[in-house]
Amino acid sequence: MQLTRRFLLHKGALAIAGTAAIPTFLVRSVLAESAASPDRRLVVIFQRGAADGLNIVVPYREKNYYAMRPSIAIPQNRVLDLDGFFGLNPSLSSFKPLYQQGQLAIVHAVGSPNMSRSHFDAQDYMESGTPGVKSTQDGWLNRALQAEDACEACSGARNRQMYTAFRALALGPQIPLTLAGRVPAIAIGNVNAFTVAGRGATLSPAARAFEAMYADSGDRIFHAAGDETFDAVKMLRAADPGKYQPAPGANYPNTEFGNSMRQIAQLLKANLGVQVAFTDVTGWDTHQNQGGVDGQLSGRLRDFSQSIAAFWRDLGDSAENVTLVTMSEFGRTARENGTGGTDHGHANAMFVLGGNVKGGKVYGRWPGLDNDQLNQGRDLALTTDYRQVLGELVTQTLGASNLNLVFPGAELAPNRFLQIV
Amino acid sequence: MESLRAFLALWLCSSLCVTPFASAQSAAAARATAAKAGYRSTQLHGDARILHALNRFTFGPRPGDLEAARAMGLEKWFDQQLHPASLDETALDARLAQFPAMQWGIPTLIYRYPSNAMIRMAMNGRAPIPQNSVLQAIYENQIYRIRARQQNRAIGQRKFQRLSSGAPVMTNSEASGLSVAAPMDQSTSPGADMADPGQMDMMAGDEEQAEPVDASFISDILTLPPQQRVARLVAIREPQFDAVIKALRPPQRAALVAGLNPGQKEIVGALENPEGMVTQELISERLLRDIYSNAQLQQVMADFWLNHFNIYLHKDEQMPYYLVSYERDTIEPYALGKFEDLLEAVAHSPAMMLYLDNASSVGPDSLAAERFKHAAWRRRAHQRQDPPGINENYGRELMELHTVGVNSGYTQADVIQVARILTGWTVDRPQLGGGFIFNPARHEPGTKKVMGVKFKQNGEMEGEQLLHLLATRPATAHFICSELAVRFVSDNPPQALVDRMARAYLASGGNISAVLKTLFDSPEFWSTSDYQNKVKTPIEYVASAVRASNADVEDYMPLANALRVMGMPVYGCIPPNGYDWDSSAWVNTGALVDRMNFAVALAAGRLPGIKVNWTPETEVANLASGPAPDPATEEARLERMLLPGGASISTRSAALSQFEAQNARESAAVRPISAVRRFNGRLAPRQLERQDQLLAGLLIGSPEFQRR
Repeated sequence: MQLTRRFLLHKGALAIAGTAAIPTFLVRSVLAESAASPDRRLVVIFQRGAADGLNIVVPYREKNYYAMRPSIAIPQNRVLDLDGFFGLNPSLSSFKPLYQQGQLAIVHAVGSPNMSRSHFDAQDYMESGTPGVKSTQDGWLNRALQAEDACEACSGARNRQMYTAFRALALGPQIPLTLAGRVPAIAIGNVNAFTVAGRGATLSPAARAFEAMYADSGDRIFHAAGDETFDAVKMLRAADPGKYQPAPGANYPNTEFGNSMRQIAQLLKANLGVQVAFTDVTGWDTHQNQGGVDGQLSGRLRDFSQSIAAFWRDLGDSAENVTLVTMSEFGRTARENGTGGTDHGHANAMFVLGGNVKGGKVYGRWPGLDNDQLNQGRDLALTTDYRQVLGELVTQTLGASNLNLVFPGAELAPNRFLQIV
Repeated sequence: MESLRAFLALWLCSSLCVTPFASAQSAAAARATAAKAGYRSTQLHGDARILHALNRFTFGPRPGDLEAARAMGLEKWFDQQLHPASLDETALDARLAQFPAMQWGIPTLIYRYPSNAMIRMAMNGRAPIPQNSVLQAIYENQIYRIRARQQNRAIGQRKFQRLSSGAPVMTNSEASGLSVAAPMDQSTSPGADMADPGQMDMMAGDEEQAEPVDASFISDILTLPPQQRVARLVAIREPQFDAVIKALRPPQRAALVAGLNPGQKEIVGALENPEGMVTQELISERLLRDIYSNAQLQQVMADFWLNHFNIYLHKDEQMPYYLVSYERDTIEPYALGKFEDLLEAVAHSPAMMLYLDNASSVGPDSLAAERFKHAAWRRRAHQRQDPPGINENYGRELMELHTVGVNSGYTQADVIQVARILTGWTVDRPQLGGGFIFNPARHEPGTKKVMGVKFKQNGEMEGEQLLHLLATRPATAHFICSELAVRFVSDNPPQALVDRMARAYLASGGNISAVLKTLFDSPEFWSTSDYQNKVKTPIEYVASAVRASNADVEDYMPLANALRVMGMPVYGCIPPNGYDWDSSAWVNTGALVDRMNFAVALAAGRLPGIKVNWTPETEVANLASGPAPDPATEEARLERMLLPGGASISTRSAALSQFEAQNARESAAVRPISAVRRFNGRLAPRQLERQDQLLAGLLIGSPEFQRR
């Protein structure tokens, strides 16, 4: 943590936004006016545990799909058809309208080119954005913000003054590797608990004492951290995210993931300056009894899709500036195993949802599922590096043009982007 | 308000500057003095020197530690810490006796308090269900739960719809307003089998068809004497057992285990969740040693090596069990010994072989691989698996993280060679808690070459030779000493110091005590510029807060939760790098909120199972006869206890001003007298305690307490 120009500027912005006396609409217009382009926001969701892409976006015209998955395949008459070849798992029914309206895109046979089948290696690689390189200390999303900061030409330069403590937000107990790095990020496990020594309408005496203590401290690092902390705490209090209740029809499942998505929506609606947000959802490691149309995986998918669909509905008009992307460390084996589940595989499917997304389409080259088309004879082969997708998103939503900084060694070329956005 | 604060600051300065603690002024003051005098760096002396040693070589001073070290002499104190066998650990041993299972061999532990993997083996008939009635009950309860969970997955769809239409549930942390009180086991990491335990447990619980438990049934159990109470709990089978446990209110929960001996408590815990009980004891035992051991340097070093040779608790279901032995038999005995012995012990630990996948590494030309290829011909296509091969994971980390360090000149080819040498280093039947074995059938034949050194085909001895080579490399000496210097000295330690420590390492054959003694004898270590200059990691913060408070910990889970919330769960670091020692990783906005809340909750006695007492009985007794102690006097007393190096004026006045503001507000409602004067009046003991709690919480949450 350093006392940078950005830090001081952001203090200036907070002096406006943190004042409860100024009506919200005024704060909002101050924020809006300073932005050169519409405030684009990126929401990143990590499915930890390796989701089974082949039963999520089902290649239902592949004969071998049914041959390899005798007990867990989704029957042709049950898939929600997308394009005559792929169909959604019926548990993703709340995604279907988003796809039809052209807001939801799918990329298939995508993932990390690294062949690791270890959850933690593969998650690390995917989050750092440098598959195969273990020593990377920061995450691709943090570097994307660094790249935006470094890009004087793009709109980010003027936006910079308005960065708040909420610029890079993780919903969860700690900052995930995806968001770790030089740009300050904030981890909030629970919006309601993000307060010091009590939750009254005003700061408690203990909180005020702490504030004075850190404000007057000669300890440079903790002085700055204290300022940021109380700015964030007060800003959150002034914004009162509690008043941004889910919009009618935004029915979040009452699950951990549903609660995370509900809170991200709250913080986005409360205009706290969130530019990127991250959360994760677990429960995908279906080695046993994963089920077909019903069962374990289908329960996870219902939670997953209903939470995201509720989030989308909840954002209403402001959704047009939000892009959401999902990923999982690797896919699962094409064949089911001896215990009604699937083992660690390779390529997977990603969802991209957004106001500017050219949805209603399954992107990526399909490698086929014949035995000789499988990766190492067992998994869906990979035809798209996930960084091609993310590279396009950070260029389009964050104005991070230096992709070598974001994904070093990936050699991404904009002319090879899938043109999803 | 401002004038009051200024007045207090002035008053405190004039009164405290004549106390014996004047020599131990804050780091800022010491540095300012140094700067004024034009020194580039001066040496610490007096109490500051002792406090510096206590802050760096222990998990923080307890009340009385400064005086004890002063009386003994710092040289002797350090010598004792380097040779901890002579230290009296009676109090520690009494506390450790709470966890008898932590002393068992791993096969026994995993058999008696089985992992979920062991339970599934029992369900599939691949392991026997014990005949002993207690163990049988533990197995059968867990089998029931796993079956119920599987059933619930099958009917997950119906369930889910019901769940999602319900009202939002409040989490623990929301209910208490305290993020540290969040439930323990919601790791976002990949679970071994099914992640998302929270949700699944909720479903399993919901779906049970247990008969309703009535109050008299529970109170009958609770009134039984210990032996019969345990026997009764053993006799109650699922689903009723879980129904009983769930129906208990918190005081009943305490009554359930009241009077039980430690072994009986473990049985009750295992009836509920054996793997969870073992995991909790593993974590508790680690925290217990950090907080209560008198051999503090030993524990600081054990913590250091557990992080250097990091292992993630949830890598698989056996890991909590293997970690019991890893800490006890692999790390602790060598923490202050020779690095090579430690490296050897780690390489021969089932925990490391499993964590970094060496246990599954097979030489491609080994006997085992030949057999597999032969057998594969007979399998049908869909049963075909990957041919077994080399797993480079451990080989790479052995060099990159454990010994020579990255950029020390080895190549990817060397990594593969190291992995070939280590093929066959594996674990005997891990699901049963088996030990390390060398399996010659998996060992890759042929000569290997690592960093220019040839290894003739020699089975397990190749690996021994390799470990010796790595432990004695100068690059290893520098890598280890540099990490030690960052832990003990500063985020950017002086190169001259690291070089001197590395020379001591090489001269002593990698003796860690000799390296630490060199550190202790180096002027760089005692530089005023590094006094109070290291940011505490969460474990250092939490342990030092508990130690400074003289808190009595019966339940370590609130501390484990606090560490999880602060981003440093015990054994919870997923990647092999371990946690960072430098400040940048630990200072962020969310972290400070969590630290302040922890400080306030600990000081107020709001962490369940952790007792603190700030107000001496004599003070409480005096309340009846005389005036209440002056707030500044209370602050000074607590400051000596919690921040023996002294608080800054801003911290002191902020703590006191809130204290005054609070009283002014409270008294305004009663009678309009001056806030200061009020303390000459009577005070109820509870009020005095509450004020002391607030003061203590503010001091523990202060910027000064964030550093060591």
